[in-house]
Amino acid sequence: MSERRPFHRPQPRYWWAHKPYLAYTLRELTGVAVALYAAILLAGLVCLWRGPQAFDVYRKILASKGSLLVHLVLLAAVLWHVITWFQILPKTMPKLILGGRLVPPRSVTAIALVLAFFCSAGLLVVVIVIGALS
Amino acid sequence: MKHVTINRSAPKRSVAPVFWLLFGAGGMLSALFGPALIILTGLMLPHGWGLPASFADFPHVLGFVRHPLGKLVVLAVIALFFWHGAERMFLTLKDMRAGPLPLLRLLTYGVAALLTLVTIALLLAIEF
Repeated sequence: MSERRPFHRPQPRYWWAHKPYLAYTLRELTGVAVALYAAILLAGLVCLWRGPQAFDVYRKILASKGSLLVHLVLLAAVLWHVITWFQILPKTMPKLILGGRLVPPRSVTAIALVLAFFCSAGLLVVVIVIGALS
Repeated sequence: MKHVTINRSAPKRSVAPVFWLLFGAGGMLSALFGPALIILTGLMLPHGWGLPASFADFPHVLGFVRHPLGKLVVLAVIALFFWHGAERMFLTLKDMRAGPLPLLRLLTYGVAALLTLVTIALLLAIEF
């Protein structure tokens, strides 16, 4: 009489749509946005390979109002990814100890966010300067 | 004291760290440069905001993609972004118990692997 009959706590089917798991679900959904953006770029690559006419069609679609809206939504999702990614960073990296003191996780997040801002802003400035000089 | 020799075979190696590495690389790349990339390719280039209109035309983009460094950038962004999304979707669908694991792997890692190969093939077909 030793057959295991472990207790499984019942869990609602749509647990991920409710608090507190909703924050997790929203964070994971940013991965869909990142993949979707890659798909848009890949579509551009396909059109580039097919030739100038196909690429002009791609450019027309990208210049449309719908595309603008899609990219604004993607931008918002990726900005949420940036914030949550660096909130997780102190938990996934080894403890950072400087001068014998633990650097608080919040500081790690703040420093990484500043770095991310300068990376993105730097790339934009470089491209704009190249555009202005050419 | 009695000595017991335990004959254990080496633990089976998991391939999970490979996917985890690709996920992390894509996550970091998109966290550092993602917003700027979307603003550039989705907002500024198509609408000619703040950049010369010629930057988005066929010869310019072809020139960028024909350069070895341009190819590397395009491959890194597209492939790593796909792998990042695939890992997130796989783990979330697994937590949601959305289906059998082999099917979920095929729909996430499988698609990312296929699209990575397509990207490499296109970059080679466009030539240097």
